[in-house]
Amino acid sequence: MDAAPEMIKGKAATTVERPLARVPLVLNKRNFSWLTERISGVVENPAPRWWWVSFTITGTVAMFGMFCLGYQISTGVGTWGLNHPVGWAWDITNFVFWIGIGHAGTLISAILFLLHQKWRTSINRSAEAMTLFAVMCAAIFPGVHVGRAWMAWFMAPVPTYYGIWQNFRSPLMWDVFAVSTYFTVSVLFWYTGLIPDLATLRDRATSKIKKFLFGFFACGWRGSNRNWRHYEMAYLLLAGLATPLVLSVHSVVSFDFATSILPTWHTTIFPPYFVAGAIFGGFAMVLTLMLPARAMFKLHDIITPQHIDKMAKIILLTGSFVTYAYVMEFFTAWYSGNAYERFAFWNRVFGPYWWYWWVGMLFCNMLSPQLFWFRWCRRNVYVVYFVCMCVNAGMWFERFIIIVGGLHRDFLPSSWGLFIPTWVDIWTFIGTLGIFTSLFLLFIRFLPMIAMSEVKITLPEADPHYGSTNGQQPAAAGGKERM
Amino acid sequence: MSDRSQALPTPEGEYFESNRFAGLSVLLGSVALVALAFSVVGAMIDPHQFSFSWLFAFGFFFTLCAGCFFWIIVHYATDADWSVVVRRQLENIACLLAVMAVFFVPVLFLRHHLYDWLNIPPGKEAALDSKRAYLNWNFFVVRAIVFFGLFVLASQLLRRFSVRQDKDGNQQFTIWMRKIAFASLPMFALCLTFGACDWLMSLNYRWFSTMWGVYIFAGAAGSSMSLLVLVITALRSAGYFKNVVTVEHYHIMGKWMFAFCVFWAYIGFSQYMLIWYGNLPEETQYFLVRNTESWWTLSMLLVIGRFFGPFAILLLRSIKKQPHRLCYVAGWIVFMQMLDMYIIVLPALHGTGVHVSIWDFVSLVAIGATLGFVYLQIVAKASLFPMRDPRLIESLKLTN
Repeated sequence: MDAAPEMIKGKAATTVERPLARVPLVLNKRNFSWLTERISGVVENPAPRWWWVSFTITGTVAMFGMFCLGYQISTGVGTWGLNHPVGWAWDITNFVFWIGIGHAGTLISAILFLLHQKWRTSINRSAEAMTLFAVMCAAIFPGVHVGRAWMAWFMAPVPTYYGIWQNFRSPLMWDVFAVSTYFTVSVLFWYTGLIPDLATLRDRATSKIKKFLFGFFACGWRGSNRNWRHYEMAYLLLAGLATPLVLSVHSVVSFDFATSILPTWHTTIFPPYFVAGAIFGGFAMVLTLMLPARAMFKLHDIITPQHIDKMAKIILLTGSFVTYAYVMEFFTAWYSGNAYERFAFWNRVFGPYWWYWWVGMLFCNMLSPQLFWFRWCRRNVYVVYFVCMCVNAGMWFERFIIIVGGLHRDFLPSSWGLFIPTWVDIWTFIGTLGIFTSLFLLFIRFLPMIAMSEVKITLPEADPHYGSTNGQQPAAAGGKERM
Repeated sequence: MSDRSQALPTPEGEYFESNRFAGLSVLLGSVALVALAFSVVGAMIDPHQFSFSWLFAFGFFFTLCAGCFFWIIVHYATDADWSVVVRRQLENIACLLAVMAVFFVPVLFLRHHLYDWLNIPPGKEAALDSKRAYLNWNFFVVRAIVFFGLFVLASQLLRRFSVRQDKDGNQQFTIWMRKIAFASLPMFALCLTFGACDWLMSLNYRWFSTMWGVYIFAGAAGSSMSLLVLVITALRSAGYFKNVVTVEHYHIMGKWMFAFCVFWAYIGFSQYMLIWYGNLPEETQYFLVRNTESWWTLSMLLVIGRFFGPFAILLLRSIKKQPHRLCYVAGWIVFMQMLDMYIIVLPALHGTGVHVSIWDFVSLVAIGATLGFVYLQIVAKASLFPMRDPRLIESLKLTN
């Protein structure tokens, strides 16, 4: 509808004041060329020394993690500290932690896209890559937790004449489908978005091998009108498909617990609570990775204080919802009048794992994000980084408290026990941190870490009417975003 | 698409001509008076049935008004621009929360019919005694006062500042309203949740669900967006909002209706499935009643009518971009919200099956007509859209 202003045409007067002006998404009037040079340069220039140092460290840690996995698979699950009654501990904690990390990527790429949030363009590529690496790390844990990892294929929906008879009533089976669907769609989404940028790298490639590889994966992209039309349709459809996955994956993960009738596990708010927690932890991890990358590659004009501010606000929002869920859990446990529920929550706060709750859930998850009510905190990268590290730790603690806290005090005191991690537990988790960061370092070396084509679309120059009318730029054109 | 890059002149606002609709106003006022008089009769001759009928009608209209309040605070908190032209109507509806506070008074008077926990003396039931620190009359009243006080205060402030901005276009009002909205977000979440626990969940004091507040919110947000579509379309049909509210706005409102249609189903399914799967008697009792006898039919109608039907229809872009077609869906969703509230409240009284009462209709008409009458008084007092909002031009030039 173009006639919006018709009613008011001809009426005199003043231009509406726009005091709350939009701030450009790319600072210092950077143009298309600068963006291409700066972002492609990260891939094309020799790797800086810090990258090699970092990769050596993370790669070594990753190798040690893989050694632990090999040791665990060859020796058995007994190498972990699991016992009766704690049959799930660090393994499933790590699984939920990593799956959760991935959610920010999908939220940024799919939901924020559907909500027309242009600021997402500076961070979506890295966040999507992070999603993939996080899901890879997550998949390791249930895979090896089955004990005989070579039989993990029993969970696949193979034909019935194999005689496997998967239990489709088990939420653990639902997880297999939820996570594999999530991974597949995330890969497709990430790759589709990469195609125009791969073509850019192809066109700039100086060696034949690079030209061939980038060209192969760019699928013959020529930037024609037809290419863009198909690309945009595919992107929109994938965003639509990925949006329910943001909710479904962690909801299904929450069903692993909530379908049971264990106190602290069986609670109806778990699905949205887990989703909010996942986005909360995921955004913290995005900032954890992007703030150093921004500093190292001097991307301050692309990932601006405005972007950090908005991500901090999302952390505040999701952190507040998580706090709301904590409050509702405590309130309902008390309101239910159920002695076991009441004890379990009392035990969470004052039991043997009390400090996990006080430090992890209370301080890290509930209190630290509240700093983001203040603008100066959202604009100070050191404060932001501090809060993000708190949230990273807090979300791991939260999963540990939910899982081990729900198990270690069984209904009969004679069945009580404690979980003590072994070195294999600890190093397997640290190893996945190494795998995750190594993959991320490889990603920023070999692929454009910022979606060049998408950021360019947000520049004022990308507007077809840019500079065509009496010097005034469109009020809502790309390149400006809400403060 | 034509060039939208020209700076636009300031619109001069648009005013509802109350004299044009004086007849409607008188009609609504008269119906309200008669229905309220009947309500008094109902409260005297059949107080038990009437109290549940009234609570059902109260819950339905309260969620609609609270949902509109939610959309205002989200508008400011996210600094949205698309919603500027429709925001004034959200403000007008949210202001009706003050009327809803008055309509809560009968609930207080009829409390002994509604809430068993008030009738059971201490020492009779251990499960109840263990939660009396929360479920007691004094605290119940204090909470209600706090909830309504905050809702009314915030909604009135937001409308007042918004109307004052119409006069001078002072940007400071937007900043103040943004601050109120930020503060209102946690307030809204807590007040709606505990209000839902107090007024609806405690109808059966033995039952509980951590999801309850989110479920009520999901219904409120989706149905209030549908109500907004209806109100905006009614005003457009009366000749207002020409070229101000465009199909682009309808498209976005339709998308939000779709989003909350799915969100409601997500929350409702999660709550139902987890309770069904856990199969604990203390939890399943709520759904057992609603899956029994004729309640089952209504429950199935709710599942199909509140989710499957609108989901399939709202997937179509053409529906979302055609105001009158969207109105059919919006009206249906509002009706489904009414059904949802009916299924929440009435089975607490008629556990063996649906028992439609004349007082259900009387209560609905009494509250609905009163709100309609008050709305017509409010809507005429200011421009139909915030004419000097700093984001107005962006809203007018909206494209999807």
